[in-house]
Amino acid sequence: MRDWFVRLAFLGTLCAALFCSWHWLFPSPQQVIRKRLSQLAAAASIAPNEAPLVKLAKAQRLSTFFAMDARVNVDIPGRAVQGFNGRDEIQQAAIGARAILNTLKVEFVDVVVEVGPDKKSARAHLTATANLPGEKIPEVQELEIGFTNIDREWLINQAQTIKTLR
Amino acid sequence: MAAARRLVLTGCCQALKLTFTSFYRSVKNMPSEVEELRRPGLVQRVLIGKNPMRTLVRVVIWVVLIVAIRTYVLLPIRVEGVSMLPTYKENGINFVNCIAYAFHPPQRGDVVAIQYSGKSIMLCKRIVGLPGEVIAFHEGHIEINGEVLDEPYVKRPCNWERPPKRIGPNEYYVVGDNRSMDFEQHTQGIADRDKIVGRILL
Repeated sequence: MRDWFVRLAFLGTLCAALFCSWHWLFPSPQQVIRKRLSQLAAAASIAPNEAPLVKLAKAQRLSTFFAMDARVNVDIPGRAVQGFNGRDEIQQAAIGARAILNTLKVEFVDVVVEVGPDKKSARAHLTATANLPGEKIPEVQELEIGFTNIDREWLINQAQTIKTLR
Repeated sequence: MAAARRLVLTGCCQALKLTFTSFYRSVKNMPSEVEELRRPGLVQRVLIGKNPMRTLVRVVIWVVLIVAIRTYVLLPIRVEGVSMLPTYKENGINFVNCIAYAFHPPQRGDVVAIQYSGKSIMLCKRIVGLPGEVIAFHEGHIEINGEVLDEPYVKRPCNWERPPKRIGPNEYYVVGDNRSMDFEQHTQGIADRDKIVGRILL
């Protein structure tokens, strides 16, 4: 009985290890997109006392997450509606934001990823939180981000804010 | 010869003693010496109990029960922000009753949790408008279908002015109790029914 239990436990552990290894070696599109989003959040964040060159490099890195023809629409209640077309415009906006802000911590939570039937496009529905300097409560915004697979790389082709309350 | 007889007698006495002792213990339900040796220590008895397997089953049942209740029935939350003052103070701990609307729709006056894309971060607001109603703000008061809504929970007056707006089916108008800020700075509006997670418990 005890031998059987040990064998069963060993078999279970082996199966779990194989399952984890498989997912680590061949991640699903959902996993890849989730990882891209966490990298995007890290690139969008600004560490305190960040050097100007680092700020510029991170702004350039941020733009690499977007496709060349990407469109970003920002419509937050109480603020002006903004739209950015193309990677260059997004990069300029990121550089401008970094010039104004000293620190910023961006996080994406409750990420729901849906991959299209063609496996070439995907949509991510998420909640973004941004801790701005001098504010106790983070800014919270629901977002919908569209991805497209270009040269085996998932790039953002569309991003827009969603009004939770209309 | 005498020594052999003494040895046999001693053996018989010992056997009789053992038989009577085991019989006495079985009758009185007393643990035998072997059982006494096997008996767990005080610390083990307190931590694990007399029967480890039964304790394990109990622990598993409790863990499953707590996780299920925490996920599907009572969601613990921490209130952040000032929009629900003075009803809910900042950093207060509360719970969302996720099954509150299992048998009836949300009611006017209920304080509800509204989710964004998930349940990690939620909005805490009060329902003031029901599906199909027309809501407006006039001189800081809410008007439902043209009649002023009595709101004893609003302690800070405001001067909000908004034109009438019809609430669609399966939609609810939600707003915070603290209306001392400008209308644009206060998160309020129409929420879909499926975005309402549940009612705030306390």
